[in-house]
Amino acid sequence: MPRAAARLLTLRRVWRAVGGRLAESASVVLALASLVFVALRVLPGDPARLVLGDAAGAADLARVRATLHLDEPLLAQYGRFLRGLSRFDLGDSLRRPGTSAMARVTEALAPTAELALVAVAIGALSGVVVAVAASGPWLSPRARSWTDRGLIVAAASPLVAFAPVLTWLLAVRVRLVPLPGDPDAGASGLLFASGLLAIPLAAHVGRIARAALTDVARAPFLMVAVAKGAGPGRVWIVHALPAVVGPIVTVVATQLGALLGGAVVLERMFERWGLGTLILEAYATRDLPVLEGAVVAAGLLFVGAQALGEAVHVAVDPRAREGR
Amino acid sequence: MTRARWLDLAPLLLVIAASAAGVLLAGAPAARLDPARAWCAPSSTRLLGCGEAGVDLLAVVSYAALRAIALAVTVSLLSFVVGTPLGVAAALARGRFERVVERGCDLVQAFPTFMLALAVLSAVRTPSRLHIGAVFALTSWAPFARLALAQTRVLRGAAFVEAAVALGRGRVGVLVRHVMPNVLGVVAVQLGSTGAAIVVSEAALAFVGLGPRDGVSLGGVLDQGVAAMLRAPHVLVIGAAAVFATSTAMLAAGRALAPEVR
Repeated sequence: MPRAAARLLTLRRVWRAVGGRLAESASVVLALASLVFVALRVLPGDPARLVLGDAAGAADLARVRATLHLDEPLLAQYGRFLRGLSRFDLGDSLRRPGTSAMARVTEALAPTAELALVAVAIGALSGVVVAVAASGPWLSPRARSWTDRGLIVAAASPLVAFAPVLTWLLAVRVRLVPLPGDPDAGASGLLFASGLLAIPLAAHVGRIARAALTDVARAPFLMVAVAKGAGPGRVWIVHALPAVVGPIVTVVATQLGALLGGAVVLERMFERWGLGTLILEAYATRDLPVLEGAVVAAGLLFVGAQALGEAVHVAVDPRAREGR
Repeated sequence: MTRARWLDLAPLLLVIAASAAGVLLAGAPAARLDPARAWCAPSSTRLLGCGEAGVDLLAVVSYAALRAIALAVTVSLLSFVVGTPLGVAAALARGRFERVVERGCDLVQAFPTFMLALAVLSAVRTPSRLHIGAVFALTSWAPFARLALAQTRVLRGAAFVEAAVALGRGRVGVLVRHVMPNVLGVVAVQLGSTGAAIVVSEAALAFVGLGPRDGVSLGGVLDQGVAAMLRAPHVLVIGAAAVFATSTAMLAAGRALAPEVR
């Protein structure tokens, strides 16, 4: 086959894959948004009364119902909600009239995305480093089995339990990191929070990468590399590592939901501004447009990061490009 | 039951026994306040010390652990009962139904569950245990259906199932005698991880402020502990240890249900 034609074919395959992936991501966001919509409107309880409290007068209730379009039929409301979603406009924040809900959400998105991305970077990197170190010839069998056990324990530890204890140890006892809620925490605060968030991720990545590397260790292409005289560093990092990127990306993708949940917990604990803080604030004040917008934004962040992971996989592992 | 299985169940039984003992020892309802003793350290009258406004931590942690275990066991059994038949039915029906269930599981498993819980719980004024359980049940059936589907797909082509059909067993007979027993063991393992996840999620929800009104939750204890990190670090350590013990005990108990490798 001429080169140009082959390239065109590959390109078409990539486009089809991208299109399918986009449709899948969109359906996750749509389903999440619809669930939130349904929960807020169909569950027993009057949203207008939730917003205003029990003491509200009839006129105020009617006003809030009109602002939120709660007086329309449910299907019309849903149509309006979806139209608004496609234009990134869910109306004004109830608690800050004049500010659009989406503006508040975008403002909160950046710090959370920052926290999550730094955590993914730290977690994936340290998980891979541990897995490669434990798979290569560098560790004694004893150290290797202890590493594996450590990974299992770390993967099973709930963030909500160990994060406060580690913070207490490192911030109060050792004074190594800033205290929670310290406004001057800056970069070290971000690094510490991301580091905490990265621990479970690193453990999961480490376990999967370790298992995948053990599989790859018997592969013929690795033996060829050894036979050609490559040193252990080259064998494991240049030859073996790209072959296990697929499982690593998959495990990062499956851990993203937990990571976002963990980000909410940590934002609350460190009093960091972000999507989690905004959701909790919107929850406490029943700012429904902001709440809907924030959850949809969290969903977008989630599917966006998943798609990014797949792109990394395709870029690094040639087998994924060939559509196998 | 073999000895190893009892060992896997032991941590959960231990946590339950310790919590029950704690409830008896404390002897008072968990929400009783005693402001004079606020944040007091562990002593002979208050074995685990006190928390905010002088609540007896022993009582709070014991009640909260028991309730968390009850919630986790209920929701995971419910998900098991709903998800397993769904997955088996989908694999046996094949065709469109199978694809729809598979995609549905993918969709639900791809959700950021914690965000979903936050959003759905905002529809109620103060989340009760029932609400929290319902929110978890919304997504926790999917792994069960997924596992059952995958396992049934393997079994439907298995030689012994074909043999049973060839010998003239009816559909129901094949399902009950040959498919189900081989599906249940594999799926049951998921009970442990779902249970542990529910214990942790419940604590996390209470930690960020979506707990039960009376504050009797492991996450509530952790929240108090973070607030009083400088004054009374024992609250934090006790809360974290309780969450860790309860969730890992659930995880270990799941292993006791694993099918025997013969």
